[in-house]
Amino acid sequence: MHIDCTINGNERTFEVSKTDLLLDVLRRDGYTGAKRGCDTGACGMCAVQIDGEPAMSCVTPVVKVDGATIETIEGLGTQDDLHPVQQAFVDNSALQCGFCIPGMIMRSKALLEENPSPSEAEVREALSDNLCRCTGYKKIVEAVLDASERMADRGVAADGGRSSDRGDDCRCAGATGKTGPDSRGETRR
Amino acid sequence: MTDPDDPKPDGGTASRSERESPEFEDHPLEWDEPENNDLEPDERASVSRPAQKDDDPKLVTGQAKYTADYEQRFPDLAHAAVVRSEIPHGYVTDVDASAAEGMDAVHAVLTPWSEETPDAKYTSAGQSYPEPSPWDMNVLNDHVRYVGDPIAAVAADDAETARTAADSIEVEYEEDDYVLDPEEAYSEDAPRLFDDDEVENEIVGHDYSRNRMSRIDGEIGDVDDALERDDVHVHETEWETIRQSHAQIEPHTSLAYTDEDDRHVLVTSTQVPNHTRRQLAHLFDIPIRDIRVSKPRVGGGFGGKQAMVVEPIPLALSLAADRPVIYEATREEEFHAMRSRHPMNVRARTAVTEDGSIEAIDLYALSNTGAYGSHGMTVAGNVGSKPMPLYSKVPNARFEADIVHTNTPQTGAMRGYGAPQGTLALEGHLDEVARDLDLDPVEFRQRHYMEVGDLDEIAGMMGGEGAERRIRSCGLDECIERGKEAIGWDALEQPDEEHRHRGIGMALSAQGTGVAGDELGAAQLMMNEDGSFHLHVGGVDIGTGADTAFIQIAAEVLGCEETDIVIKSSDTDVTPFDYGAYASSTTYISGMAVKKAAEDAKGRILYWGSKLLEEPESNLDTGDGTVYSEETGASVSLEEIGYEAAYGHDEREHILGKGTHCTEESPPPFAAQFADVTVDEETGEFDVNKLVVAVDCGVAINPGMAEGQVEGANHMSYEMAVCEGITFDDEGRAEVTSFDEYDWPTAAETPTIESILVETHEPTGPFGAKSVAEVPTNTVPPALSNAIREAVGVRITDMPITAAKIKSALEADD
Repeated sequence: MHIDCTINGNERTFEVSKTDLLLDVLRRDGYTGAKRGCDTGACGMCAVQIDGEPAMSCVTPVVKVDGATIETIEGLGTQDDLHPVQQAFVDNSALQCGFCIPGMIMRSKALLEENPSPSEAEVREALSDNLCRCTGYKKIVEAVLDASERMADRGVAADGGRSSDRGDDCRCAGATGKTGPDSRGETRR
Repeated sequence: MTDPDDPKPDGGTASRSERESPEFEDHPLEWDEPENNDLEPDERASVSRPAQKDDDPKLVTGQAKYTADYEQRFPDLAHAAVVRSEIPHGYVTDVDASAAEGMDAVHAVLTPWSEETPDAKYTSAGQSYPEPSPWDMNVLNDHVRYVGDPIAAVAADDAETARTAADSIEVEYEEDDYVLDPEEAYSEDAPRLFDDDEVENEIVGHDYSRNRMSRIDGEIGDVDDALERDDVHVHETEWETIRQSHAQIEPHTSLAYTDEDDRHVLVTSTQVPNHTRRQLAHLFDIPIRDIRVSKPRVGGGFGGKQAMVVEPIPLALSLAADRPVIYEATREEEFHAMRSRHPMNVRARTAVTEDGSIEAIDLYALSNTGAYGSHGMTVAGNVGSKPMPLYSKVPNARFEADIVHTNTPQTGAMRGYGAPQGTLALEGHLDEVARDLDLDPVEFRQRHYMEVGDLDEIAGMMGGEGAERRIRSCGLDECIERGKEAIGWDALEQPDEEHRHRGIGMALSAQGTGVAGDELGAAQLMMNEDGSFHLHVGGVDIGTGADTAFIQIAAEVLGCEETDIVIKSSDTDVTPFDYGAYASSTTYISGMAVKKAAEDAKGRILYWGSKLLEEPESNLDTGDGTVYSEETGASVSLEEIGYEAAYGHDEREHILGKGTHCTEESPPPFAAQFADVTVDEETGEFDVNKLVVAVDCGVAINPGMAEGQVEGANHMSYEMAVCEGITFDDEGRAEVTSFDEYDWPTAAETPTIESILVETHEPTGPFGAKSVAEVPTNTVPPALSNAIREAVGVRITDMPITAAKIKSALEADD
């Protein structure tokens, strides 16, 4: 069967089987920004937005997105022109291995569209379906709060951060810049 | 003991060891440090400045490529699935794979007896050579020792077909008795997991008649004598830790193929590319030169990928199927068939005089290494050798450990590497002793802990060569002072409700930086004609930002922008040798190799600068993208030098630098942890109001990244204190197979974590750096146990700390 949907503003048609999951279809088609973390919807690595709502693509049957509008991390900013949420993650040192980050950013973007000025507790609650093993969440939460301010300052929340003047002052403010196995080698590892 | 007139350069104030002692010559306090290594903050252009992480723009846009993202590049890629033991112990008597073999889309099926299945014994531990872990397993096993042991593997067109084919394989077993409890396993009557002839590379202290893979011990002074003295109190406590999962977000993933140049290539999510290459060569009897291990972006490791866990399977399948094969572990496999932290029982004993002088510390650990022995001996060694040296002034110290097998899943390296288990026991124990003696727990520790100048003999007591060390940087005092202030130590307000009580607990920790005498890092630097550079490093960035730290170190030396350096790390065909990302060694060892490579290149750059400026090299230095003269102010850009060197009329040179670093040093970073908790004495429920951890990591090469390491490590440490970890049913089947069941703290469930970087200067490290990523993994379990003791007077010694345990202890106390 085939389905039609809009991905990051482009109309697309996919040949799929009824049992395909959205994550598999996206990744097969080169949208590898969404990551496979659990296949049970429990970790948030594969989060995208479907018709504006955050969704775990690893548990979303692809047949459900026929006719839908899908946004993935690839549709946000580019490396040279980051979306304010992406820029805030960079500037707040809010990512390490980065595997959770596409999902985390998509979830954060959805939050800020729904609630442009969340409290710290609201950010933590919203992100509790998205796991991160590296950061301890602190800098991620700070990044989302920072993104909230940036988007409010620039009035870009409504257009999803697509305005053209973003990011130009964000490049990291302030940056300038022997023993063998038969021995007692307990300090080795 | 203390000489106030002998202040140490970084704030330490005393030294136990006399400078004229014989040991001093082997471990001098004054380190022969290059002039440019000790930069004041205002002299730093790149190091310890908040440089943007090099790969961040790719990571936030989803463009960074992890192993699974390479699928698109191989149109004929097959996917692997593995058949795993459904019994805890026994022998596979028959594998009927005929159904799988008959499927159209199946390209290879391997059993323990297939020709393409390697039959050599090996260890999955990704360690240096010779490996300090026993060779006790096969890629596919017919003697299975845990639920999850790999038996057969399939490669098929897609993951679903591979799984269907794997599920169609029928395995017949002859079941054997099994044992899950380490104390039961360590008895002569227990079922035996290994016959002696089933293990090669046996480890010191092995006794397979009692399921013991190793026993280790070390002592300084005479602990028994001290424990029997009339003037001491002997205190004894016992502690138990959880089986923690690495739960790294990217599953173990590995893609294998043979390329057009007959190179066997592994694109794999690993912390140890060079060790993996060597181990694969051993297993497959292929020359090291013919194997290429390439590490793309890695989605976290935490020690779980300091192991060759999955790589042999796709390689064997790709050889059998003659096509590329990828194996991506499922999340369920991650919990029951990959690796975990060694659960341990640790007994702490001290002999303490009435006035609070610790005369002896005695630690004993019983470590459950699971079905196989990877990292078993070395992790257990670190239970003693990491935390005990913190109290370097204690004259008598002993550590012993038995490492035993059970029919449970495999354990391995994990961030902290034994130190979390030892730190819980020691820091919980000392807190309890202080309370018994009515001493201030902080002052009690301060009387005995490390200071600059101390000769740390405890670190060397178990015989690791070069492990004994001189302490040349120590910020413990400042860590405690700033931690106390941040947690509000002196102004704690109690809740209004009478049944709720608030308390602060604290714990200290020390780790190492690399493995003394057993590390190697190397780097190469090439200058392009436009003045930019390519930096090739064996060092492995598994998400910590190591690549960025390397760039900052090189940029500091070369006087260029970080963006003028292109880095390639961790591809064994391209980058120099490196032991890998473990033991908190990356910035210290590989970073020093980078520094040396940059210095080497800088020497040639100054030569060319001297030619162009017609001034002696001794007048010149690099900075702001130029070579400039401190005498005349004249300068020439690195770009001009690059073009001149490449295209000059009378002389030409490709400017190259190389650096290799090995060392006998392993300076400890330090941490002081504080936990603020409110406990309800009626229910036992507790709220962790705040965690504060102050860390002395020397100079933080990138402060934002270092804070991130501290906060992430502390979160993992908090999990050790409050999460059940991986639990098993009566047959050793993991009850945790998903993130939901593992139930580690989410963003909403995580208390506020405040990280404090305390800067000292470690003269043996690049620009003064020590390690940062492990030491904050050790401290929350004891600090939280101590806080609850402070709040409501009960002591929880077995992790995790739960409301039910507190309530039960309170009721027993009544």
